[in-house]
Amino acid sequence: MIGCYVTGILPRPSELIEKTRAYERKRISEEELEKSFAETAETVIKTQVSKGLTYITDGMLQWQDLLRPFAEGLKGVKVGSLARWFNNNMFYRKPIIVDAVERERDIIKDITYLDKLPRDHPWKAVLPAPYTFMSLSENRYYKDETELLFKLAEIINEEIKSLAEAGFKYVQLSDPALVYKPLKPKMEKDRLNLVCDALKVAVKGVPVKVCLQTFFGDFSEILPNALDFPVDDLGIDFYETNIEKLKAYSFEKGVSLGLVDSRSSLVENEEELVKTAKEVIEAVYPSKTRDVFISPNCDLEFLPWKRAEEKIRVISEVAKKLGGILHG
Amino acid sequence: MDKLFPTQEIGSLAKPRWRVKAYRGNQLSEEEIAEAVKWGMLLGIENFNQLVKVLKEKDSPGRRRAVLELSAKYAIKMFEKAGLDIFFDGEQWRSEMYEHVVRRTAGFTFLGYVKSFDYRYFRKAACVEKPRYLKPFYLEEFVFAKENAERELKVPFTGPYTITDWTFNEYYEKKLAVNIKDFKRRKFEARREFIFDLIRNVLRPEIKRLVDAGARWIQIDEPAATTNPTDEEMELFVEAFNETVKGFNCKFSLHNCYSDYAVLAKYACELHNCSQLSLEFANRDSREMGVGSNVRKGYEDLRLFEDYGYDKNYGLGVIDVHTDFIEPPELVRDRILHAAKVIKDLHRIYASTDCGLRTRSWTVSFQKLKNLVSGAELARKALE
Repeated sequence: MIGCYVTGILPRPSELIEKTRAYERKRISEEELEKSFAETAETVIKTQVSKGLTYITDGMLQWQDLLRPFAEGLKGVKVGSLARWFNNNMFYRKPIIVDAVERERDIIKDITYLDKLPRDHPWKAVLPAPYTFMSLSENRYYKDETELLFKLAEIINEEIKSLAEAGFKYVQLSDPALVYKPLKPKMEKDRLNLVCDALKVAVKGVPVKVCLQTFFGDFSEILPNALDFPVDDLGIDFYETNIEKLKAYSFEKGVSLGLVDSRSSLVENEEELVKTAKEVIEAVYPSKTRDVFISPNCDLEFLPWKRAEEKIRVISEVAKKLGGILHG
Repeated sequence: MDKLFPTQEIGSLAKPRWRVKAYRGNQLSEEEIAEAVKWGMLLGIENFNQLVKVLKEKDSPGRRRAVLELSAKYAIKMFEKAGLDIFFDGEQWRSEMYEHVVRRTAGFTFLGYVKSFDYRYFRKAACVEKPRYLKPFYLEEFVFAKENAERELKVPFTGPYTITDWTFNEYYEKKLAVNIKDFKRRKFEARREFIFDLIRNVLRPEIKRLVDAGARWIQIDEPAATTNPTDEEMELFVEAFNETVKGFNCKFSLHNCYSDYAVLAKYACELHNCSQLSLEFANRDSREMGVGSNVRKGYEDLRLFEDYGYDKNYGLGVIDVHTDFIEPPELVRDRILHAAKVIKDLHRIYASTDCGLRTRSWTVSFQKLKNLVSGAELARKALE
């Protein structure tokens, strides 16, 4: 199958931005802000449906960052101070692990606009992968990071199960920390094995498809280990990954090809993306092609909504053209 | 400077309500005018009553200009009255460090707000054609400040790496799409071309005008310097700095804050014609009195710069600009004395605020600056 979807938090359209600013200045009530979030969720869902995306998300508009729902919602975790979000002019609040982490309620399900999601299209949810969650947190409780990693993997597992129950068919685990290594050498094999074991815990017994979405770093650096990760699909950031190295491996999993750049406002040339996608697909699937999703390399929240909308159109067009070529 | 521990600020100061509203063309309330009168008297501004009269007038280009001049004059007076040795005008003529430059330069278009964090956003521009110099963007402000200040001026100047990092790069990414197939390489090369065109076409022409008009010290502000901590990007940052300041008969310094100093320290020695690094430390430090690494934890990165062999001056951040806590002079003194133990050559230390004071009220800023000055004096006495 050649499909397409978005890979995380969508930007707030300008009217919603104005509401959030007004709320910050105490000019509108929380109810009014909430109403605006709900209405806008409907808008961004409609955009995804009208462009024919394979899986639909609620846009995650109220997420302040990838970890915030967990930093706020888990027992034993506090919201810490601002820290840079990888190499971006954007910041997140560090989760501080102060006590045994416990999940007392459904976290993502409770903040998702389930009633706005379309009944006749499959839904996708996005969560932090255990490794990224662990790497970006400050551990003041567990004896070491391995212990924290596996605790978080259990939490993610419970979350995925609750989302599956709510009707989601596809879950993305965002794992930028796994590949973002500007200063450090390539990740050791032992550590990758640990990541793999934590993923096994996270996806154990979940009745949905799972994609491990890497971004901000070179996916080829975690090959060949990543080919054995217990997930259905692997997500690759093509603005960071060495394509030639990637093409040296053959895959038996699906891929999410991050061919649209969420960190650039330039709208991509569709023909060029089709050509690149075709080249990659032919190289990594020498015999049997698996599921291929055309996607943005990371969350589209780095762009103003108008530009993000155009990029959603691009992933959809590229997927269509590619489907036409590959399936005759 | 002969005296030990000269005192300086970094650039911005909050804009008073009357400055913001009057510049927008609005009428001012009695309270806002009273605020201007209060500070005018407090700072001993000459003829301030006559100047304040302008605030009561109807909006006109003349009134707007007068308002800029007045608030710059107030800021300069505040710095002088606090006793600082080196300062500017509180950046009262600038809306903000990024937009001020980009809006006055051809080749950019603003696309709208993008998220910074939570419900905070910043307006991000895209470079859509080769950047071109239109008109001076700092010159008039500098000339006015020079006429009105009695001491040494340090002109804050937004650096090329930061402007590039905070801008979408459409023009160059599109241009290079023809020849560079690899997406990652294409983006990097596009960034290079963008940054050096910006330096050549826009930043250096402005520096030349400033130097010709008598600027003797320009501080290149690069908050984004360590955003991309790879060797390739850091080398680009260094090359961009060196290219920006090359060949001018003027002193240059670099300001960087809230960043990864382990990354910056490694490249500090490669900055040419950079007489000072002004760095933020107070924000990382404890408020306890004392000297020594157990209390002065915020200053541990100083050692990194020294270990890499950096031998130029420091603008040592001893005042935290992110809190209303007023550092007592004794705390300022201890921070300086601690640094003096690490750095040894005392003449390399300038006592400074961490960053611009724009997020603090004038009352808080004024008190912080007075304590900066008296703390530096205490440090000098302690070493006599």
